[in-house]
Amino acid sequence: MSLPPYVELHCHSAYSFLDGASAPEELAQRAAELGYPALALTDHDGVWGAMEFAQACKAFGVRPIVGCELTVTDGARSFHLTLLVESQAGWRNLCRLITEAHRDTRPRPDRDPLPPALPLTSLEQRAEGLVCLSGCAREGALGGAFERASGRPSAAEARAAERLGRRLVGAFGPGRFRVELQRPFWRHDRARNRRLEGLAERLGVPCVASGDVHMHDPSRAPLQDALVAVRLRGALEETEPARRGNASAHLAAPATMAARFAEHPDAVAESARIAERLGFDLTRDLGYRYPGSEDPDADRTLAEICGARLDHRYAAGRERRRARRRLEEELEVIRSLRLSGFFLLHFDILELAREVAAEVRGPDSARALLPPGRGRGSSVSSIVCYLTGLSHVDPVRNGLFLGRFLNEEITDAPDIDLDFPRDIREKLIPRVHQRYGEERSALVAAFACYRSSGATRDFGKALGLPAGEVERVARTVDLFDRPDSVESDMGVAIGAERAASVRWRALARLARDAWGLPRHPSQHPGGMVISTSPLIDICPVQPAAMEGRQLVQWDKDSCADAGFLKIDLLGLGMLSAVERTVDEVARVRGEGIDLSRIPMDDPQTYRMIRAADTTGTFQIESRAQMQMLPRTQPESLDDLTVQVALVRPGPIQGGAVHPYLERRERLRRDPSFRVPYDHPSLEPILRDTLGTIVFQEQVLQVAMALAGFSAGEAEGLRRAMSRKRSEKAILAYRDQFIAGARGRGATRELAERVFEQIRGFSGFGFPKAHAVAFGLLAYQSTWLRVHYAPEFLCSLLNEQPMGFYPPDALVHEAQRRGIEVLAADVNRSAVECSVESLVAGRSIHPAASGELAVRVGLGYITGLRTEDARALVDERERGGPYAGLADLASRSGVGREGLELLAWAGACEAIGGRDDLRRRDDLWRLGVARGGRRLAAVRRATPVQLSLPLPIPAAPSLRELDSWERLVADYASTGIAIAEHPMTLLRPSLEHGVSSSADLEGISDGRPVEVAGMVVARQRPATARGVVFMLLEDELGTINVVVPPPVYARHRLAVRTASFAQVGGKLERRAGVVNVVASTVRPLATPDQPRADVRQIEPSAERETGRPASGQRSASDARAAELAAVAPAAHSFGRRGR
Amino acid sequence: MYWPLPVEVEAGPDGVPSAVESVAVDGVREEWLVEDGWWTPKPLRRRYFELVLADGRNVVVFCEPARGAEGDRSSGEAGRGRWFLQRA
Repeated sequence: MSLPPYVELHCHSAYSFLDGASAPEELAQRAAELGYPALALTDHDGVWGAMEFAQACKAFGVRPIVGCELTVTDGARSFHLTLLVESQAGWRNLCRLITEAHRDTRPRPDRDPLPPALPLTSLEQRAEGLVCLSGCAREGALGGAFERASGRPSAAEARAAERLGRRLVGAFGPGRFRVELQRPFWRHDRARNRRLEGLAERLGVPCVASGDVHMHDPSRAPLQDALVAVRLRGALEETEPARRGNASAHLAAPATMAARFAEHPDAVAESARIAERLGFDLTRDLGYRYPGSEDPDADRTLAEICGARLDHRYAAGRERRRARRRLEEELEVIRSLRLSGFFLLHFDILELAREVAAEVRGPDSARALLPPGRGRGSSVSSIVCYLTGLSHVDPVRNGLFLGRFLNEEITDAPDIDLDFPRDIREKLIPRVHQRYGEERSALVAAFACYRSSGATRDFGKALGLPAGEVERVARTVDLFDRPDSVESDMGVAIGAERAASVRWRALARLARDAWGLPRHPSQHPGGMVISTSPLIDICPVQPAAMEGRQLVQWDKDSCADAGFLKIDLLGLGMLSAVERTVDEVARVRGEGIDLSRIPMDDPQTYRMIRAADTTGTFQIESRAQMQMLPRTQPESLDDLTVQVALVRPGPIQGGAVHPYLERRERLRRDPSFRVPYDHPSLEPILRDTLGTIVFQEQVLQVAMALAGFSAGEAEGLRRAMSRKRSEKAILAYRDQFIAGARGRGATRELAERVFEQIRGFSGFGFPKAHAVAFGLLAYQSTWLRVHYAPEFLCSLLNEQPMGFYPPDALVHEAQRRGIEVLAADVNRSAVECSVESLVAGRSIHPAASGELAVRVGLGYITGLRTEDARALVDERERGGPYAGLADLASRSGVGREGLELLAWAGACEAIGGRDDLRRRDDLWRLGVARGGRRLAAVRRATPVQLSLPLPIPAAPSLRELDSWERLVADYASTGIAIAEHPMTLLRPSLEHGVSSSADLEGISDGRPVEVAGMVVARQRPATARGVVFMLLEDELGTINVVVPPPVYARHRLAVRTASFAQVGGKLERRAGVVNVVASTVRPLATPDQPRADVRQIEPSAERETGRPASGQRSASDARAAELAAVAPAAHSFGRRGR
Repeated sequence: MYWPLPVEVEAGPDGVPSAVESVAVDGVREEWLVEDGWWTPKPLRRRYFELVLADGRNVVVFCEPARGAEGDRSSGEAGRGRWFLQRA
């Protein structure tokens, strides 16, 4: 067989991070189109994209070659070498070399990493199995030296290059070292290549041609230029020397490359000869094993552990017999799959988590009763997981289907996800590193990928566009992100004329081209891989940004493709909040709560759920859930299980939601109603979900029952649907599904309809087991909210960010329920929010929630350093309450800046020595107070060097803040408005006829209505066909706004960016749910309006009433503009998809 | 003295000059491309040649083609456009 004329051996993808403008798939696809039999990927200093590339190449029929362009140092010199993997030993060496190059890149975890670099001596020791090319034209070991000398090096430079060449020949041998020729169409290409050819002759090695590809197509050349500018943090004009200078660095056809190197035909042919030798296959030759996989006693050990616990968990009799049967079936499957060691490994980690939890919680904590974590995902369906403590849901009692998690045909290890409270997880991850060894465990990587807003900011700066306008465009596109959103929205943000200019159009194009490309690596929230052999022989490992953590260079998809055992140790905010609540209840009321023993049928809890009074709870607090709860009327944990799974893209796109809601309502009205099923075989599978597909495993079960799929085939279908590059695979399954269903008596139409439901589901749904776990947490959190409301709110505030609502909205909603929230106070607040008694003289153990209040913690004050807050509280506990401002300044150790922040937040008002609240006075007086100095040795009895307690002079006559200014100060300092809702102040100046949320109760369906409020959340689900949902909040409650697509098109800037909005439309009342269907949306003010210095001369009474003098700009507009600058940002939700 | 001056160049179908102001090209020492300023109203696209002419002169000329250099060459349109002498 004849060799191809040329194979590309030097190619960068976007995984060279800001030095490559195409995804690996794009390169692989283009290579196939151009007729390349093979293609190499050689990203800078890493193999981040190697597995993705290898998989993509296989899909397109191109043989993948993996390697990297490594930065190597020799003394003061630094240069690039292209390394290509020939064998398994070569891969092992490459991984170790890259690991070493990154080892010292994080001397300061809080700073940007240093560039990776490998000493040449290390490379010389690990050359086996690698082919080395001498590197690129600009910075290569040999070519770079000649390029810097404009192709005409001095005698000394030529000698140095030759010496380096000889070292490399010595390390790799003449068979595995080549002098690399490149033709980037720069000024001195020919001279440089002639010199390199001469050097190769003297070294006795051949030359090889390469393209130094940075993009799959020349149209990406502008993006490549812009990425370089971003990397160098400069403008395009400033970064010309570092850019490529032309578009020739694209993947060109083999014949084109042969023509480029017409003077070096042997170098062209050598590329194909080398490619032939590089037989290492990343998809096949990794040799990974997880710990325990070779333990001969693993089967027996697992059976013993489970058997011993089964008798304890299940009462003797029928239940235990059922459980035992299920256990034996599962153990048989596990044995046949040789996965006993896998389960033992998880068991071991959970035992480790128990130790960590005991340390974190302390032996006397109320939380000590709780398990260290809980399983989520399909593993919850396993009785083995239940008995080993990985799951807390009984799969026998809950009728959970195992097949999605485990079946005889699976080829990969199943997923086990474990949720932990955040504090336990933080300690557990480094402990896992210690247990299994630094070389054998690491976190999974994740990649920050370009989205429209980030691309707008990055490339706007590179293009030198005005920062203000760039930011406005970035904010406009932020919410509903699509590759072309910058282009379509720019005109809205900055005007059509400006958007049509060359630079702005260039920005839109760059943002579109960059969409989805990786920008920089980061770490997965909790995925870890653990290996028997050192991981650094299998995948490079490098330090993570957080101290004590390290990550492999592959993301979760690449790890899955590699067959790595990935354990997800996830931090779940609500789990932390629930545990905090339990602790706080114990502290405040002296009550111990065992969440596993709370009543699961509490009428008050279900009453709240059915009324959608669920703000702050887990999962069922979202706007969509709240709209649904009055219709579904959940009455049990089973109902909640369906409820949490229902509002997911899978059931929504699969068309399950409306049939489920209608059938549930009909059943409630008419218990004799018979639920229709598409086919009799589906009835037992879909009975719990009233004939609709809600859970992930129902997809599998439907495929098995209706189309005769085996468990493995059904799981294959599910996986095909859950991966992004799987359209062909889904179509193949479709044919099989329809043929199978028809063979079982279904009509073609029915088979197609059911398949489309499955396809609509597309894997974006919960397995039932996961929904059971989440439904339980939803119930527990609601139960705590109902019975221990202050403690629950307090915990939510301390666990932010989490959930659907910003803290300000949580506080307002709690206040409407009668929960008292108190402002930060230097003599009352802890560092975090805390619950305190409202009864004078009583500090703990009051009788009822009504006697308790939530005190905002000093840590909520923006800008106040945690160590300052901690020092202030410690000193108060040591030396007693602060007697006044001078005492505070003297003893607390808080610096001048911190004291000002405390005063501005109103935290000093209670010690200011007056009855009224005078923040300006406090600020002035603290400004002249002489503060104490905190000492470094914190163990001293008095950690603060006291200043002389000199009296502070009285402040001059300062006008005190009015209500409005106080509100602005509150938002600016804590982000929470406790005293007054902004709409209380804005309402007097609103137009006549604007209804409040309370007024809507009295307005009938279909009536026109005008409402206004603070925008708390915006949502544009991908499943809602362009409809946008807004949640407004006023002083009396919340208002649901539905913005249809045409209205959104007319008012999108207001919908996307307004902090306060006025909405006109029609009231819609459906099944107890009230919405305003918008026809107009306008901001109450724009943030760009001038901050009205005029307020200084405005009569105070007028400011307070908010009624403007005739001829003046609307006061509400000016005030809303002022407030918009500091008001908490609305939470925006919307699934992103290309 | 380094301002580019318009110059008459004869080029083959691959865009490589064969004569400059009727003086035959003896050899091409270097050929390079500059494609820049795509974000400005006046993007820069130049295909440069360093030539040795039959009369012994060493000159640099460039062509501002209508389209990208490589595509132009393969489409036979390379060499069309305006030619300039960069350095005498």
